[in-house]
Amino acid sequence: MAEVAALDQVEPASPGGPEVAGRSPWALAGRRLVRNRVAMGGLVLFLLIVVVSFAAPIYADHVAHVNPFENNLNGTTIVNGKKVPLLQQGGGILHLGETPIGPTWDIHHYFLGADQNGRDVASRVLYGGRSSLIVGVGSAVLCCFFATVLALLAGFHGGVVDSVFSRSMDVIWAFPVLLLAICVATVLLNAPNGVGVGPIRVQASSLWLPTLIIAFIFLPYVFRPVRGHVLAVSEKEYVEAAIAQGASGWRLVFSEVLPNVITVVIVLLPLIIATTILTEAALSYLSIGVQPPNASWGSVISDGQGLLYTRPWVAIAPGIMIVLTVLALNVFGDGVRDALDPRAKLRIEG
Amino acid sequence: MATFIIRRMLSLFLVMFVITVVVFMIFFHTPGIDPTRQIAGRNPSAAAVKEIKHQFGLDRPLPIQYLLMMKKIFITRDLVSYSNQGQRIVPEVVQAAPATLSLAFGAAVIWVVVSILMGLAAAVFKGSLVDPVLMILALIGISMPVFWVGELANLITQSRWHDTFLFHWVPPLGYTPFVQDPGLWFKGLVIPWITLSIAFIGLYARVLRSSLLEVQNEDYVRTARAKGLSERRVLLRHTLRTSMITYVSLFGLDFGALVAGATLLTEVVFGIHGVGYLTYQSIGNLDLPTIMVTVIYGAFFIVLANAFVDIAYAWLDPRIRPA
Amino acid sequence: MEKRFWRGLVAMGAIAAVVIAAGCGGSGGGGSSSGGSSSPSTTAAAHKGGTFTILANSSFGVADPAQNYTLQEWQLLINSHDGLVQFKRVGGTAGTQIVPDLATSIPTPTDGGKTYTFQLHKGIKFSNGQVMKPSDFVTTFERQFTVPGPTSFYSGIVGASACKPSHCDLSKGVVADDSAYTLTIHLTAPDPEFLDKLALPFAYVVPASTSKKLTGNNVPPGTGPYMWKSYNPNKEAVLVRNPYFKVWNPAAQPEGYPDQIVEKYGLQISDEVTQVERGAADEVFDGDVIPADRLNELNSPQYANQVHVNALTADWYFAFNTTTPPFNNQKARQAVNYAADRSAYVKIGGGSALAVPTCQILPPNFPGYKPYCPYTNGSDTTKWHGVDLAKAKQLVKESGTSGAKVVVNSGNDETSKALGEQMVSDLNKIGYKASGQYLADGIQYPYVQNSKNHSKWNIAWSAWYQDYPAPSDFLNVLLGCGSIHPNSDASPNIAAFCDKAIQAKMDQAEKTGVTNPDAANQIWAQVDHEMTDQAPWVDLYNPKQIDFLSKRVGNYQWNPQWYILIDQLWVK
Repeated sequence: MAEVAALDQVEPASPGGPEVAGRSPWALAGRRLVRNRVAMGGLVLFLLIVVVSFAAPIYADHVAHVNPFENNLNGTTIVNGKKVPLLQQGGGILHLGETPIGPTWDIHHYFLGADQNGRDVASRVLYGGRSSLIVGVGSAVLCCFFATVLALLAGFHGGVVDSVFSRSMDVIWAFPVLLLAICVATVLLNAPNGVGVGPIRVQASSLWLPTLIIAFIFLPYVFRPVRGHVLAVSEKEYVEAAIAQGASGWRLVFSEVLPNVITVVIVLLPLIIATTILTEAALSYLSIGVQPPNASWGSVISDGQGLLYTRPWVAIAPGIMIVLTVLALNVFGDGVRDALDPRAKLRIEG
Repeated sequence: MATFIIRRMLSLFLVMFVITVVVFMIFFHTPGIDPTRQIAGRNPSAAAVKEIKHQFGLDRPLPIQYLLMMKKIFITRDLVSYSNQGQRIVPEVVQAAPATLSLAFGAAVIWVVVSILMGLAAAVFKGSLVDPVLMILALIGISMPVFWVGELANLITQSRWHDTFLFHWVPPLGYTPFVQDPGLWFKGLVIPWITLSIAFIGLYARVLRSSLLEVQNEDYVRTARAKGLSERRVLLRHTLRTSMITYVSLFGLDFGALVAGATLLTEVVFGIHGVGYLTYQSIGNLDLPTIMVTVIYGAFFIVLANAFVDIAYAWLDPRIRPA
Repeated sequence: MEKRFWRGLVAMGAIAAVVIAAGCGGSGGGGSSSGGSSSPSTTAAAHKGGTFTILANSSFGVADPAQNYTLQEWQLLINSHDGLVQFKRVGGTAGTQIVPDLATSIPTPTDGGKTYTFQLHKGIKFSNGQVMKPSDFVTTFERQFTVPGPTSFYSGIVGASACKPSHCDLSKGVVADDSAYTLTIHLTAPDPEFLDKLALPFAYVVPASTSKKLTGNNVPPGTGPYMWKSYNPNKEAVLVRNPYFKVWNPAAQPEGYPDQIVEKYGLQISDEVTQVERGAADEVFDGDVIPADRLNELNSPQYANQVHVNALTADWYFAFNTTTPPFNNQKARQAVNYAADRSAYVKIGGGSALAVPTCQILPPNFPGYKPYCPYTNGSDTTKWHGVDLAKAKQLVKESGTSGAKVVVNSGNDETSKALGEQMVSDLNKIGYKASGQYLADGIQYPYVQNSKNHSKWNIAWSAWYQDYPAPSDFLNVLLGCGSIHPNSDASPNIAAFCDKAIQAKMDQAEKTGVTNPDAANQIWAQVDHEMTDQAPWVDLYNPKQIDFLSKRVGNYQWNPQWYILIDQLWVK
């Protein structure tokens, strides 16, 4: 981008002097990003969480030796060398209720304790990370992709196309975000034979449903800024120059408009991922996000609600994971924004 | 200016209309959900089912049903809930609104005051340790899911430390109307207010700080400094005012969203029976009339807030007025 | 009635009054006192007064007694309204006895058991001052048909079959003589359970001027010691004393102790517990769904006198879809019964203090109950001891259904979801490919009843609480051929199970019950065992109810029909 190049000027060329090491704006931005220690820290943390979460099967099978998706109410484990039942009956005179064991802090035996169904909380938190990340990142990527395509179409064609898309986005935007997600999710989940378009059937327990729903509700958040940028860029001189040179239609879009607009999307992406992860957690907490047998951080927090006063770790652990992940993404996202457009405002409003 | 306002209002109505149609289609047209069954009660006879269908207009074509519902909401205002046919919905929503409004207002006061202080401090003390520390706190605030924070708050204030001097005053979860007991109203809302405001404090502190820093480099600020004004005066009289434009417009949108029912998660966690809670419950019961009214209520406030912010922006900054 | 509306209990008819009551089922804590506490008039007077506050998570929906089918409202309606007959208002097994209420005595039916003639008390007033007359009952029964709601209880009345919501004329079936003060009811066929049905709040008298349409959340005036001051489903219900009430039959409708009864709505159950612990309220209504982390607190000795646990005559079970493979095969169904780990289900239900595993249909302490559990390891078939996976796997093999895809349908609240997940586990253990389908509670129950959805699920969770302690209320209502209503959301025979031979036996038991209840119960016991062998269900456990009361509450009594007797509690 012109501004980026201008700000990071390399030594001026001198005639006959050494070769000027020119750098593309992307490389310059990349270098700026890499030099930003805090942002890199965020990226590393995020990747670490991703790796650990996707290593969930390894942990569950080989380290903890549990199946975190099957009930194990009558199971036992070893604590301090002794065999203890996973669920212990209440004491006193009445013996009401069954309480799962709390954290053992033993990585091989129910590190964070068990939940009400005798399942290993630590494994579920890791597997939960898998689902949350898949839904979070997947929906953000889908959202950005489709919103960009729609914005390009709208901004470039203008007229009716623009009106229709913009008004539709207005409607989605006007829906209280969570509300729309809850409505759609409730309805789709209670269409018990899954939802289908033609031959494609999506089961309620599939991760596709929350992914698509969340991608859908955040479309306006990406569409609006991107469209704004498309409109702005379309009026710039270099586009006019390209048109004068005979470029038109999709070639124009791809060669001139898109590269300049893509930075908006790149800056938005980490922030959108952070938001989608939080939204997925909220939906799963309300039991209309990720469905059993899949676990997600939000659903484990929901499981922990009934145990909050006696076994708070079931609710605390997944929450900590969410905070770390979203924090890492926010920090990294800040770094990306600073690298690509150091003078941009904090929020790119639509 | 006037035409701009009128056009925004028109577009508001259009958007509301589309939203109601969408909600209607979502819930009415869904397989597996039969409103007749909800109204008919338990184990009704076939004849009763047929009569109810007719009585509630459920055997008419969908567009007619939609119009009937709209009529009942706006004109006759006697729309009843499917889950409880003794319950009129519009008064029910009106009764629930004060809880949501109390929650939203209180949280807004806290978050505005704290975020302005934080943002100012971070900008003023940029370069020292204060800035990054405050910003990290802000980031952490944004990163915490509000329902989780609420759960932890409950754990601490209701259970673990309830008996200490810190939290013994925290009443059991729930909302007490102000007119019934102002003291209890206040005590019961303090923890929810703080919980709800945390994420917003983080966000707005960052927004303000960033706006302030950006404006610092503007020409008119440099002129003010060159004239010999103290940093503090420059900050408070020049940069802060300009920075508030972004802040205020964002605030308008977020506050509108809260009033509209984005308080849902906080209400559910703290047992506050506001509009958000009502919405959530009615969706779980697939009680279409209640869903419809709460969605209309919510969408109205959001669209209104949007329009208001647009108008305020246009008034504040003539450059942005559309042709 | 099914779980959500489990709050409906009908009096056991005097005819079916032979209760095999091994005990009152009370255990722990304050337990259930039988026969009520001794309350000479001095003690009674000293304890009169005060306000009893109940905390409930949600309201009971619409308040019109002609529609409401929830125990939650019924526990209050028995104090504000009266029927022709009533359960004895005492705790323990004596509380299952039918006594006359507005009638002066229990009549013997004439005309081959089809006609009941009641002589009514004179001078009883409604809470609005009107005098109760027999013709008020005509309106009461007609409202059963003009207001949407369950009608099957009274469909045996002459003229009922022609009734529709727009028009119902029962003048031939319910004959009122206001001068002689008699009420005569004509049935189309003898019904040994009719007196039970008359003790249901549906049949409690309301003034003849009451609208034939749904009165919404306004409760029509009644003749009981309390009257409804207000009901706001989002806030609370308030009952105060009825100024026109005078005791005419203390066994059926005694004077209540509290001056006011308040039921508050909308609290989370965890907070209900907290408030009662602190004495800010008197009763946790949702004692059956107290979250696990609070249950443990109730075990503490400081609450010993405030926690009461009582067995319920109810089943929590999974119904097979017997119309489609693989569970149209009896061996497959039996296999699942052998594999179902009832001890795990019991743990989900709150542990062995709160749930008792069972294999058969009828619950303990029920007429016709003889302990029977064939689906266990070992040789003792009177109770469940453990799973028999070997037998289960063998039966799967013999049935030829191994590897079949099975959809487990359940609710999405914490407990029913956990039960569903456990069933998925159990099915997978014996070679099926099971997956879960979790629907919102309000949808799940009608969904699994409707035959249109039969292709979508293979085994579904449900729960049933007695309407009245007659074996037919479980065996015939839930598994009888006549309870299958195709394409309807109201078809209580979820399993769509129909065995002609067993049905014939049930019909015979019903007929015998008119004249010889003991003999009838013998037949019902056989039916129960044969039905269990056919395995239309996997019955999991019989739940228990927790009543958690504040420290100041005294005179707790557990009535098997109405459960906690609110009006008899002392709050002073």
